[in-house]
Amino acid sequence: MGADQMVAEIKDVNLSYMMLAQQMLRADEAAAIYRLGISQDVARIVESLTSGQLLKMAASSMLLCRFRFDDRLIMELLASHGKDRTMSQSHAAILMAGQPAEAMA
Amino acid sequence: MRNKSILSEAREIRLATELIKLGARLQILESGTSLSRERLCKLYKEIKGVSPPKGMLPYSTDWFASWQPNIHSSLFIDIHRYLIAYTDVRGIEAIIKSYQLYLEHIAANQLECVLSLTRAWTLVRFIDGHLLQTVPCTKCGGYFLVHTFELYSNHVCGLCNIPSRAGKTRKVTQAAAETRAQLSAA
Repeated sequence: MGADQMVAEIKDVNLSYMMLAQQMLRADEAAAIYRLGISQDVARIVESLTSGQLLKMAASSMLLCRFRFDDRLIMELLASHGKDRTMSQSHAAILMAGQPAEAMA
Repeated sequence: MRNKSILSEAREIRLATELIKLGARLQILESGTSLSRERLCKLYKEIKGVSPPKGMLPYSTDWFASWQPNIHSSLFIDIHRYLIAYTDVRGIEAIIKSYQLYLEHIAANQLECVLSLTRAWTLVRFIDGHLLQTVPCTKCGGYFLVHTFELYSNHVCGLCNIPSRAGKTRKVTQAAAETRAQLSAA
């Protein structure tokens, strides 16, 4: 994959991510805050972005979303292909629900 | 108490409808809304087609301590706590939201729905009444339900330390035996 193509794909992902996040927040704010793992002030900003602002943000060559599992254990649980996969999914969900939300600095 | 405003009554009926669809018992409806018992009974019959079940709600805190229920209810209460901490939803609304998110998790992972809405509601009341509390597991750091006033300085959760007979209920063993029989017959 060339560098140009990579940047183009990053922009695509950014736009899909921002649009999905906005849609989720508009449909059901509380559930979206849980799913996205963000705090309410971030949610309010994302919700109020205009299409123009959204496009400008998405045009960045950096990814706007990042890994939510800083915790090594969550990573291992989510990636596990062991016998009790469903149980490790539940375990990961419990750990992720216990993590603090991403807040504005 | 008689409701004067039609708009607020409409709101309460919608709330009660949602609760009934999720499987709430009459007692939850009575505490969550200010509609009369008679009207709630009628609404229940209209939605479910049967009279609301009579009798007491499950009141045991020990149910939450056994292995599978503990995992499911810990997940529910962690979602609930997250919503209370980071959003504006409170009270019965918060319970409905967290229960819906819990159901989604169950559906996404094809798990058995262990925690009913009634249990979830009683769980929140147990937490408020300090009968149950959550403590972090010393191995994974996740929050799990335990009885209050017991010693948990070294709590290890049921997922880090899975008991040997966990999940091996009579039903599961039977189902496994049936599939084995089917395979050998084929």
